Amino acid sequence: MNYGPLLFLAAFFALASSWSGFVLTTQLQLGRLQQTNTVASPAVTYPVARPGLAGQGLQVYRANGCAYCHSQQVGQTGTLLDIELTEAGTNQAATIAALLKLAETPADEPSGLSPLPPLAAAKGNASGAALLNGLPKSLLRSSNRPAANAAVKALNATSAKAQICIVPVGPDLARGWGRRRSVAEDFLYDSPVMPGSQRVGPDLADVGTREPALSWHLLHLYAPQAQVRGSTMPPYRFLFERRKIGLQPSPDALVLPADAAPPAGYEVVPRHAAKALASYLTSLRAEAPLYVAPLTVAAAAAGTPTNAPTASEATSTNAPPTR
Amino acid sequence: MLFFSAAVWLLVASAFGLIASIKFHAPGFLADCAGLTYGRVRPAAVNSMLYGFCLPSGLGITLWVLARLGCARLAAPWMVAVGAACWNLGVALGILGILRGSTTGYENLEMPAYAASLIFFGYLMMAFWGVVTFHQRRERRLYVSQWFLFAALFWFPWIYSTANLLLQGGQVRGMAQAVIAWWYSENLVVVWLGLVGLAVIFYLVPKLTGRELHSRYLALLAFWLLILFGGSGGIPATAPVPAWMPALSFVTALLGVVTVVAVFLNVFRTTNGKCVMLMSNPSLRFLGAGLVAFVIGGLASAVVAWPFINRLTQFTWFSIAKGFLTSYGFFAMVTFGAVYHIVPQLMAQEFPFPRLVRAHFFLAVAGVLLFVLPLAIGGIVQGVRLQNADIPFTDIAKGTLPFLRVSTMGDLLVAVGHVLFLANLGGLAFQFYRARAVSAWAAATAETKVAEAVS
Amino acid sequence: MTPETNQPALVSAAAAEPKAADAAVPVWLLVVLFLILYGGMVYFDRYGGWFSPQVYAPYRTVEEVEAMQPALGGGNVLQLGLQVYNKPTCVACHQANGKGLPGQFPPLVKSDWVNEPEPGRIIRIVLDGLYGGQIEGQSYSGSMVPWKDSLTDEEIAAVLTYVRQNAEWGNKAPAVTPERVKQVREKSKGHPQSWTPEELLKISPAD
Repeated sequence: MNYGPLLFLAAFFALASSWSGFVLTTQLQLGRLQQTNTVASPAVTYPVARPGLAGQGLQVYRANGCAYCHSQQVGQTGTLLDIELTEAGTNQAATIAALLKLAETPADEPSGLSPLPPLAAAKGNASGAALLNGLPKSLLRSSNRPAANAAVKALNATSAKAQICIVPVGPDLARGWGRRRSVAEDFLYDSPVMPGSQRVGPDLADVGTREPALSWHLLHLYAPQAQVRGSTMPPYRFLFERRKIGLQPSPDALVLPADAAPPAGYEVVPRHAAKALASYLTSLRAEAPLYVAPLTVAAAAAGTPTNAPTASEATSTNAPPTR
Repeated sequence: MLFFSAAVWLLVASAFGLIASIKFHAPGFLADCAGLTYGRVRPAAVNSMLYGFCLPSGLGITLWVLARLGCARLAAPWMVAVGAACWNLGVALGILGILRGSTTGYENLEMPAYAASLIFFGYLMMAFWGVVTFHQRRERRLYVSQWFLFAALFWFPWIYSTANLLLQGGQVRGMAQAVIAWWYSENLVVVWLGLVGLAVIFYLVPKLTGRELHSRYLALLAFWLLILFGGSGGIPATAPVPAWMPALSFVTALLGVVTVVAVFLNVFRTTNGKCVMLMSNPSLRFLGAGLVAFVIGGLASAVVAWPFINRLTQFTWFSIAKGFLTSYGFFAMVTFGAVYHIVPQLMAQEFPFPRLVRAHFFLAVAGVLLFVLPLAIGGIVQGVRLQNADIPFTDIAKGTLPFLRVSTMGDLLVAVGHVLFLANLGGLAFQFYRARAVSAWAAATAETKVAEAVS
Repeated sequence: MTPETNQPALVSAAAAEPKAADAAVPVWLLVVLFLILYGGMVYFDRYGGWFSPQVYAPYRTVEEVEAMQPALGGGNVLQLGLQVYNKPTCVACHQANGKGLPGQFPPLVKSDWVNEPEPGRIIRIVLDGLYGGQIEGQSYSGSMVPWKDSLTDEEIAAVLTYVRQNAEWGNKAPAVTPERVKQVREKSKGHPQSWTPEELLKISPAD
């Protein structure tokens, strides 16, 4: 029997099965993704294409192989629901009583309600008046939705106003590398997509939120050890130009500490590639709440009950988050 | 010729790898040269290793074994030589392109389009004649290795063309690009290298020990498991893709355990448990070491695929160590064993420096151990510390440096081994051509002498 | 480079080529294989999200993802109404600017039907759908699907309030409360299919 064609068919079938699983299905599911809406405001589409300079920065990132040390994917190991009291209401005693009662639920009950530090501290002493200071404040934590809903209802019944905050958790997020996990929609308009496979350096998925200043990135590229003590990153001095100061110092010139500064009369100016790369890095944000990765963001100027469909819902602020 | 050029590329690869490794200890090393930053040197090293050494030597072995097992002559050898030249040109252009910054950004697929098409064309030239050789075989009963090699001949062009066409042309949007790149990478490193490496083991171990391969059915099982499930294991657990992809990757990676056990059992029973047999022949030593690396690497891959453990080792040096173990520790060692067996037969000569072969073996084993072990341990330490958000990142990075220093030593040992390998091969080639030249010269002068004597 | 030099050796070498014996695969290995396959299927069932592109780890099913979505509106009725409008519930036909499509979907902009002080008619439209007839002298070919099963009273009240109080669209009418929606829902329970405009005009909006 001529096994030759059989072998060919076997190899073809095997490859076809892994191809249809990982190439075809991926294209159907992820390759045809469209822009989606954030869950906080359907009028805001996500993601937006990177502006021109940042798009060029993506190519600089690719050409210099930054993805071999830096990953761009943040993981999440769980989601918790925090119950946040936003307004104290008129019947404060009832609110405090309800809070203390909710805090009493044993931690191993299926409801999974547990008090957060401010409430746990108040559990001991009966007077919980201090609880209602400094609102809005997260006071309870739950791991399942029905229990959280019931808690919010109980609190709302005492004329206070409470709401649920969705808090993703995980070691990467605890390190401040993002507010939620990275999902496919974050990379929709990038080509090539470089999620990286090593963390010789920190994850960059959300670095634009952590370090929004271009100058930070420029200094880091030129002299990493000057910017971050103990960094093992090599300097990328070829992205910059050291030249004699002309009639006036250039506005682009880097402000360098003494040990990295050029000799007197010289200045260090970023080349186009460095500026593009810095712009790309500051455009890396992964904090928009999406259906597939829900998250509660601080409702900033949402107090305006206008009837016009606004597009500027403050779903993501530009201020660096507190860690 | 394939083997010789492969050896040269191997040296280039180790040079790049060394440079990359040193950069960790002295970040300022060669920092001012754009072409030599870590981000470019590392893909250059990996690519020259994979495409410069692993693939061409694998192809050379494939052609040799297919010809031998089929009792047929290699069809159109000059075409194969042209293909090899084309391939080498492609790889050279590709490496230069990477150093210049034209990398594609996808891991293991970094060669820019112009180089990739040259490589593809070169491969087709070589593989097509391999298929023809297989077709022309006179021995119709198929041996185990032939399945593996025949499948491998087809595997590469399919995955390479798919990946390159979809990714280079920008046809695919967003995260799907990364998934396809991961798919390609797994298929290349696990399936292609696995197919050829296992074919060599199944061919040379019985041949050189003079025994029969223990079970064709075990080999069949390994073959099917490898081609069905080997290529699906590449998606990391926390990748930005829907949950079903890492889940599927995990399940298929687990099945790798059965593949590994089947192969190990087969070889073990072939030598009837007497592993000492493997130490007798210099080639067999390499094969034995390669087999051990295959087993350990395969088991490690399956263990690390568990999501719980994957979170610890995912972005650490452990994955690099594991990759090195499976690509170099397994495939390269097996290739060395095969080349040390094949080339003397090809040229009907013995190696000029037989003691260097032994030295190469010990250097290679020591180098692999020194590279893999510290990185694996360092990687686990790094991963565990990364889970704790209170430890600052720079501390963790600094903590990996001692491990990296030891692994650089391993890199150095491995590189010296490559020099020895090249010396041996070069010496043999030189001897061969010199012998031919001498005999041709003698024939020519003998003719003139006869002509003179006659006249 | 080629095996030419080995030609005479080939024939004798053929005898030296390895052969494979026919030992069977040990049963325990097959058992292990099936155990792994079974375990793998169980794992995929639990953690694989059944190939849904919307399920990302750590969530395991679409229901879990749904359960973790933030509450709509965040306390602001108009915000909730905007979200319901864009779900896409209304925006698909009536468009984001509320003007609908001429000949297909009626506009909500400056509409008398919308601005009716009592919301009885438009609540019925949202609950049971609308089809055919003429609205303010124009006929529209599109039909409106009933939303009574997909939207809660609160959501219907919010979206109607949003539409009725949308200053940009020139609408200015009193808000709609969830209780009113509930009332109308009870009253129109028996109604079998979509309304036509003529039927609705016969019912008083205060009903």
